[in-house]
Amino acid sequence: MNDAELIREAQRGNHAAFEELVRQYDSPVLRLAYHMTRSEQDAQDIYQEAFLKAYRNINTFRFECSFYTWIYRIVTNLCLDYLRKRQVRKEDSAIISDGEGETYDLLDQVADQRSGASPEKDLMRRELGGRIAKALDKLTPRERMVFEMKHYQGLKLRTIGEILNTTEETAKNTLFRGTQKLRAALRDMR
Amino acid sequence: MNCDWVRQNITLYLYNELADDARHELEQHIARCSSCAAELAEQQQFQTAMNVLPVEEVSPNFLTAARMRLQESLEQVQPHRAWYHRLAFDPAAWLRQVRFSPALASIIFLVGFGGGIGTMYQALSSKAPAQAPSMQVTSTAPGEAAISGITSIQRDPTTNQVKVQYDKVMPESVQGPVNDPKIQDLLLYAAKSNENSGVRLSSVDALKGKSDDPRIRETLTYSLRYDSNPGVRLQALEGLGPLVKDDIRVRNAVLEALLNDSNLGVRTGAMHALEPVKADSSIRMALQQLAKEDPSEYIRHESQRLLASAPNMY
Repeated sequence: MNDAELIREAQRGNHAAFEELVRQYDSPVLRLAYHMTRSEQDAQDIYQEAFLKAYRNINTFRFECSFYTWIYRIVTNLCLDYLRKRQVRKEDSAIISDGEGETYDLLDQVADQRSGASPEKDLMRRELGGRIAKALDKLTPRERMVFEMKHYQGLKLRTIGEILNTTEETAKNTLFRGTQKLRAALRDMR
Repeated sequence: MNCDWVRQNITLYLYNELADDARHELEQHIARCSSCAAELAEQQQFQTAMNVLPVEEVSPNFLTAARMRLQESLEQVQPHRAWYHRLAFDPAAWLRQVRFSPALASIIFLVGFGGGIGTMYQALSSKAPAQAPSMQVTSTAPGEAAISGITSIQRDPTTNQVKVQYDKVMPESVQGPVNDPKIQDLLLYAAKSNENSGVRLSSVDALKGKSDDPRIRETLTYSLRYDSNPGVRLQALEGLGPLVKDDIRVRNAVLEALLNDSNLGVRTGAMHALEPVKADSSIRMALQQLAKEDPSEYIRHESQRLLASAPNMY
């Protein structure tokens, strides 16, 4: 069954059809949420909320965009809410927590796993990773979202515009502003 | 085309977002403008540096845990419906709500079961059945009922009499085919609620051949995920194995057992159960992870074997 058939089935109340849709899109959704939040627990919460919202509102889906755009729209809105709340809390710490509530340093994520990588190089990568994470946190939630979707997820600006309910031109401008801010924040690293 | 325009669009150029003609003009400009060429090099350097924070694929463990949690929540949520639908009473939806209120469901089950037995008693005593009943109820004599607990003791000091109030449990047994709905109700109840792992094992063993029934399938999935006894989990796995091809929930539960179960036997069973769907991308991802880093040599070896024999469709 293709997406449209699965959606129609889900709208008729077919639970299994909706779960098939989930399986098609949930891996990139979770990856996006995890990269945005850098917390397994928060990423899982966003993933959960996104698909529950999609399920509750599947009857309002009118095939005006793809299911991919629709689910990404839901996820990005949840991520934007999350970033806004985080900015209010001003949690700039690199210490984050995983699903079990264990805390660990974000910099561990950027350790070079390749065999033969020297400890000095590894330390430098960790330091750089930490600074990048902090610079990303300084962007506005929208700039952060556009940069994430373009640079890390590789989406086209046209798609990003659709997902954020805006124009491609606005998405371009937001990307330009975000990139400039990041370059300024990381200038002394080169 | 001037330097300002080029600087505004270098980011788009590197992200491959410029139209062909604009791209061509930008390249021409950069070839003859050293300042814009330096800007391009800086932007390239910046983009490379940003990749130090990698976007890694989520691990199969993490994805499976998220899926299982979502499945549990989806059970309790219904899609929004039009206002006129809300006015109509939907008995099926109401029953679904009840099904997931364990305490209420247990009470309804016990009342229903007791009522059923009572009715059957009356029916049996009032007239002889036309044919042998599918289920037979055997009661113990009232005197043999066990005391389950003393609820109060009152002593009258004047008469020296003591009043002891207690509850009695009357043992009963029923016999019938596994297909009998009342027998099935009892087995389902025992599989989930009994303290005795031997009883749970026997219940799951009796139910596992009937996994086509959604209620039984749900109970077997519950046992595989939550039962503390590995023997019970193995029996449940045996019942669920044939369904991994057609039922995504079952597949997820078995995958979760493969990744997280504490017992090697259950994990091995789960791996064999998943063999028919080894080409599924989630399963492949999990097998790749296990082949690389599982502490058990057997699991690593088996994962490699399954991967080698599965056609890579992605």
